[in-house]
Amino acid sequence: MIEARGLTKVYGDKTAVAGVNFTVEAGRVTGFLGPNGAGKSTTMRMIMGLDRPTSGSVTVNGSPLTGHTAPLRDVGALLDAKAVHTSRSAYNHLLAMAATHSIPKKRVHEVIEMTGLAEVARKKVGGFSLGMGQRLGIAAALLGNPQTVILDEPVNGLDPEGVVWVRNLVKYLASEGRTVFLSSHLMSEMAVTADHLIVIGRGKIIADAPIQEIITGKGQGRTRVRTDQPDRLMQLLAGTGVSVEVQERELLEVSGLEPRQIATAALENHVMIYELTPLQASLEEAYMELTKDEVEYHSLITTGAVPVEAGGN
Amino acid sequence: MSSTTVESTPSPRGADTRAQLSGSGSSSGPGPSFPRVLNSEFIKFRTLLSTLILLGSTVVVMVGFGALSAWGTGQFSEAAAQDPEAGARFAAQGGDLAVGVPTSGIAFAQLILGSLGVLLMSSEFTTGMARSTFAAVPKRIPAFAAKLVVVVLTSFVITAASTVVAGFVSVPILDNYGLGLDLGSSQSVKLLVVNSLYVAAVAAIGMALGTLIRNSAGGIMSLVGLFFVAPIAFQLIPGDFFVEARKYLPGNTVDPLTAVEHVPDTLEAWQAGLVLGAWVVVPVLLAAILLKKRDV
Repeated sequence: MIEARGLTKVYGDKTAVAGVNFTVEAGRVTGFLGPNGAGKSTTMRMIMGLDRPTSGSVTVNGSPLTGHTAPLRDVGALLDAKAVHTSRSAYNHLLAMAATHSIPKKRVHEVIEMTGLAEVARKKVGGFSLGMGQRLGIAAALLGNPQTVILDEPVNGLDPEGVVWVRNLVKYLASEGRTVFLSSHLMSEMAVTADHLIVIGRGKIIADAPIQEIITGKGQGRTRVRTDQPDRLMQLLAGTGVSVEVQERELLEVSGLEPRQIATAALENHVMIYELTPLQASLEEAYMELTKDEVEYHSLITTGAVPVEAGGN
Repeated sequence: MSSTTVESTPSPRGADTRAQLSGSGSSSGPGPSFPRVLNSEFIKFRTLLSTLILLGSTVVVMVGFGALSAWGTGQFSEAAAQDPEAGARFAAQGGDLAVGVPTSGIAFAQLILGSLGVLLMSSEFTTGMARSTFAAVPKRIPAFAAKLVVVVLTSFVITAASTVVAGFVSVPILDNYGLGLDLGSSQSVKLLVVNSLYVAAVAAIGMALGTLIRNSAGGIMSLVGLFFVAPIAFQLIPGDFFVEARKYLPGNTVDPLTAVEHVPDTLEAWQAGLVLGAWVVVPVLLAAILLKKRDV
């Protein structure tokens, strides 16, 4: 179990992580989702005791990593695919890491086999592709057979087969009762991998909930409405917490109201509706919704739809 | 890679390859004790080709300079036998030049092994290896101390061993010129031990610089500045202060330590020992404290 309490990291005048609280429970895959620069890697480095929190604390199984008697056997982490001396072979790298905890050579061979590195294990890491680097990082993370596994962007640079392998691996590790904490900036990846999701944006936790709740919760109340009197309907629906987007001339997307409420309003005022479709947001949309104000770097290209706020705000 | 896909896909069948975990994540095996971390650092040390090349170069340079110096000393003594002026100079050198022959390459050994000291730590940071190292040893100081032991021990052993080899190569060359060199004499042994200790000290200073600067080029430049540039600069700058200060540079502590008799206007041997010790202890302590405090 990983517990962060008031965890804060400030670099100069930039706050990377701003007093976050979260708990990563054992026995499930917890996704750590956020745009680039949101503070995911910084948080993970603090868990591993590599970066010192400016304030607050983070513990693994109740104590900070410096307090563990055998850290590699408790927590395994892939923080950076190339946290390896480039002139050393993969095998020797793992051997040196294993030596710190008297982990037998047999286990080194095991993780090499497990991660599919057998053919390149004797080659210098400097010549590895990003995907092979990721596999080596995962091998190193699993070396101590740890109860807690932390993987920062593990599918980065992996081929499709490797991506599937990582998905199965993390699910398998969680099914064994381990704590699995997995970061990504790709919501699509989280949708198929994680059971629970912690969303971070600009150093703050935006959401911390089961993945199903995030998909349904945030998209709730969005309804596609087609009507021949869009302007009239917009006036009728206006109210606190309601927003209406004009998608096409006669197509509206309403959020904040149930389909029944929309239909009632239309019926009472004799506005004809010829489509009323409840929408379930994809995780992608839910994520965009969650992080739209928290993205560090906005791209300047926007889509055509112009949102129209028809509400009391 | 694709050929190993089947094996690499985790499945319940693969569970038997994993040791069972006890309870809820308490440590289930030995942790990073100092001997284990030391073993790890030795593995890291010997599995880098660049390290082995630097060690090999040290031996080659020490032996090469020993042989060259033996030949030069022989030439000098021949000249001295024929030319009274050269004879006077030969005598003024303290008579027994031959004894210094095996350690004549020490300036280069200190440069190579000092750089090795810098590189062993700076490369941890430049390659990202430090994240792996200090995630395995979150207390950090044991890893630093283990690396220091590896650096100091190997520098001492390599310098001592190449001095011995240089000695064996030099003896027959000096013999040709009728010069005797007794490798077992107390002065020979003293030169071997002091110079090896000195090079080990330089390597420790190098490692401290590598830890503080975290950059290979910057660390090596600082080392060269301290051992090669500063002595020259101090000589060129006029003023009594620099004449005095020059004695306290780490590179100028070897001569007082190995002198047969105390030379006026130099440090006493015990003073030189303390100065060199301070040059090691202060940067190493500073490096250890900052390594503990800073983010990796």
